[in-house]
Order: sequence, then structure tokens, then C-alpha cells
Amino acid sequence: MTGEGKSAADRLVKVKRLNALLTPVKELRKSLNEQASAARPTGVLYGMPVAVKDNICTLEFTTTCGSKILDGYRSPYEATAITKLKAAGALIAGKTNCDEFAMGSSTEHSAYGRSIHPIDKTRVPGGSSGGSAALVAAGAVPAALGSETGGSVRQPASFCGVVGIKPTYGRVSRYGLVAFGSSLDQIGALGRSVHDAARVLSVISGRDPKDATCEDRDPLRLPTVPESLQGFVIGLPREYFPTDLDPAVRRACDRAIRLMKEQGAAVREVSLPHTQYAVPTYYVIAPAEASSNLARFDGVRYGPRAEDAGDVRALYRKTRGEGFGAEVRRRILVGTYVLSAGYYEAYYRRAQQMRALIAQDFRNAFDRGVDLLFTPTTPTPAFKAGEKLADPVSMYLSDIFTVTANLAGLPAISVPIGRVKGLPVGGQFIGQAFLEDEMLEAAYALERVVPATEEA
Amino acid sequence: MSVTREDVLRIAQLAELEVDEDSLPTLVEQMSRILDYVAQLSAATGNNGLRPFVPGPDAIRFRPDEENPWPLAVGPDELAPVFKGGFFVVPKLDQFE
Repeated sequence: MTGEGKSAADRLVKVKRLNALLTPVKELRKSLNEQASAARPTGVLYGMPVAVKDNICTLEFTTTCGSKILDGYRSPYEATAITKLKAAGALIAGKTNCDEFAMGSSTEHSAYGRSIHPIDKTRVPGGSSGGSAALVAAGAVPAALGSETGGSVRQPASFCGVVGIKPTYGRVSRYGLVAFGSSLDQIGALGRSVHDAARVLSVISGRDPKDATCEDRDPLRLPTVPESLQGFVIGLPREYFPTDLDPAVRRACDRAIRLMKEQGAAVREVSLPHTQYAVPTYYVIAPAEASSNLARFDGVRYGPRAEDAGDVRALYRKTRGEGFGAEVRRRILVGTYVLSAGYYEAYYRRAQQMRALIAQDFRNAFDRGVDLLFTPTTPTPAFKAGEKLADPVSMYLSDIFTVTANLAGLPAISVPIGRVKGLPVGGQFIGQAFLEDEMLEAAYALERVVPATEEA
Repeated sequence: MSVTREDVLRIAQLAELEVDEDSLPTLVEQMSRILDYVAQLSAATGNNGLRPFVPGPDAIRFRPDEENPWPLAVGPDELAPVFKGGFFVVPKLDQFE
């Protein structure tokens, strides 16, 4: 059995150049060995190495959230998702690099350096769960955990050519997930195949008395692979196929849509008219919640503390000023601003109202007999490192097709549907709340027929 | 510019965040750009009585009110930068603002 731990560690060490794993090699080997000996052979994920994003608390390894402010931090408890994975026999295969506190779309905002795209080293693997996506894409692990606030599992999955699932809000316990935007956050799964990601999701899903926002439901039951898509009505929201969409991304989507039709699916154009407001809505709500959630990092209860601060407030300010990176500082400031006296109505309340309209758009589409929506996951394939760093708004716009599912609390999955000049392109299904099984059926059917590694 | 240098400094104080002089001009410019970008929401939602979105379960689930300690693997004495005799140690509060 220790052989399983060893080979998992060997595969992870081989892709060290990707800077996707934050756990030191020696520590990883030792822990994998111990875990492999302790793993329960009856578990459904017995021996499966699962890498974990560094904002999910583990007892085995440090949890830094890609931030200096938690450098060396060891959580005194582990996330429910981790407990469930271990109970199913999985091996926790180290912690993966991510944008600091999951704020970013490229891993360039990690305090530990960016991760490298496994196919093109000049490009980013996406983010914020970029390390998880890169490791799965490089074949180092069959599956990994990520987290989503605005597309942080699906966007890197799309960039790296792997599968990424964001479950319905409330499907997976968030106990032990370091909070960023509490009305949006969910733990998600990445895998080499729909089945690998879905197996992990099924294990970590289900009720948890430690998280009141986790719904009182049984774990997700995995559907069987359908023989066809007969009976499925798939909606194509026209706002997700704008005239200026990257032509190659459009070609890949068109091919996937044709293949779904050939499988018997009925395809229908629908409209989600408030889509254009999704990114601004997200960039009010997420920073507002982040500014509140991140108030706890103050150099008193955990993490390093700034030296030579005079009084206690200077200690807070210095620790936070030195500990947080540029993007996190920016979002804390924006969040504090939109919640401050006189601005709450103009920004935060408006954003929550728009969010209600965005959620209603989806309900309207589903009420008209559409089972699922199909869209591109991202407007372009992986972008170059540094390309969007100077302009935060252009970086935010890379989430344009993913944030809506987070705002509406719906499940969504990104599946590789082709390549553009060698770079992967993802297609996304957005499902109805708690109907992940239906969404997975469609993803299984598409995965079976789409030439995911061929040029579109 | 929708925010000024003084706005950023005031907000940084509210957020208990030290901002150094060198990064101020960029911060003012970037925050202004972000706030200008999200301001389109005001025009879009108007002044109607739309109900704001509420995420999660329809009703709050309560659990029995009983003590149910989940033991921690390590205590605050190991986690905190400075911890003495059952207390987190911090520098004195200089003055109330």
C-alpha cells in the first residue's frame, strides 16, 4: 500500500516546474506514506490521490491561502470535505497554489509565485484554483479540490483542458474553507474526466451539522452514462455568444452543439437579459463580503505579526498592510468603500437587487422547458502571463461567463471541447439547483463524443 | 476620478490597512476605474422596489442548543503570534479614536 503513496508523490515531484504544489516534497512524501498505510481499503476512492487548494484547511499540511499573512499557518482542524475524502480512502496529495485568498483568475496573485500552464509556459493556468487545474492536466493527480466564488474552478479547468465542477450553493459543506465571499463560495472538484471529478464531488457532498448553509440533503448520487441525449432540451443563451466572441472558441462551441444534436438533444436559443451586469454585480458583492471576512487576519490570532508596531491599531494596520498582496488590498478597499456610510444603497443594495434579476433570468429560462444551458466557459483560451495584471477590470472580465452561476447559486461544469492553436477550450453546462445529476449526464454524453484534444 | 487620494486613505483607515505613499497613485487610479465600472448598476436597477437576493436555504436551520466541542488539533498557544496565560497578547491601545 505504501507503493500508492510513493507513486503519487513521484508523479507530483515530476511536475515541480509548474509551481502548482505548495507542499515541500519531503513533507509530501512522508505524509502520503502515512496516509496510504492508514487509508480504509473499503472506501470508494481508495488510494486515489487528491490535491487540495490551499484555502481548504488540512491537518496534514499548512494552509496559507496563497498569502504571506498566513505563511506557515497550520489549521487546528480540517475541512469537512477533507474528512469525507479521507473516510472514502483518498490520499490528500498536498496543497495547491492559488491566487491569494482565491482572488484572481491567473494565480499571478499568489504570494508564492504564479503557476505555469502545463502546455505553454508563457501562459497562466487560470485561477484562482490554477494549481489544482495544472496538476490534474499534467497527470500528476486524477482529481483535485478547488473552490469557487466567481468561476475559480471552471475557468482554470477550461484553460488547462480538464473537467471542473461547481456544485449548487449548499451542496457541499464549507466548514474549513477559508471564507472569501460567503454568499458565493463553494468547494468544487477538478478531474481528468467527468467521472473523476464527479466521484470526488459525490464523496464531499451532503449535509454537515458544522455548516448551517449546507443543505440538509443526502450526498449526490452519480448518474449512469446515458446512451444518448434524447429528451434533453439544451438552451443556448444568446448573451454568451456575442458577435465579438473569439472565433475559435465559437467554432469549438458550434462543434459541441452539433455533436449534442446528433446525440438527440433538442437545442433552443434563450435569453438571459441581465448577463451584462453580472461582472459589475459580482465585483461589488464579492469584495464587500471579502472585506468583512478578511477582517479576522490581524496579526493577533494566527499567522505572522508585524514587528515594531506601536499600539494595537498600528499592529493591525502594519500586519495587514505587509501581509496582503496588491489584489487583496484592492478588493478590501473596494469592499470597505461600497459598504461604507452613504454608499451602501448606491452599490451593495443595487448589486443584490441585480443579483435577484440575474437569478430570475435563469428561472425564466428553466421554466420555459430548458433542462440545461450550454455556453463557452471563458471568452478566450489561456492568456499570457502579465497580460492582464495592470488592468484589474480586464482580468475581471475573464470571469464573464462563469460568475452568473455563482450569483444565482446554480451548479455548473466545464468540459474540454477542443483546442485552439494547441490551447484547450472549455464548454460549460449550467444546471438547475440541486440537479447536478442531470448536468453530469449531459457532460458524460458530450465528453464521450467531443474530440477534446483536436483543433476546433 | 471617482475617488480621491483622501478617500483612499480614509477607507484604508476604516479597513485597518496600511497603505504606503508609493502605491497610493496607482490605488486611486485603479479603485476609481473599478468603482466607475460597477457604477453602471445604479442606472440599470433604477429606484424600483426590487427585493435583494438572499442566498442559501429558505429558512435558517437550527441545531439543538447543546455543547458539542469539536476538538482542535492545536491550541491558540501554538497558533497565535504571542499567547500568554490564556490570553492573546497585543500592544496597548494608545488612544481611542
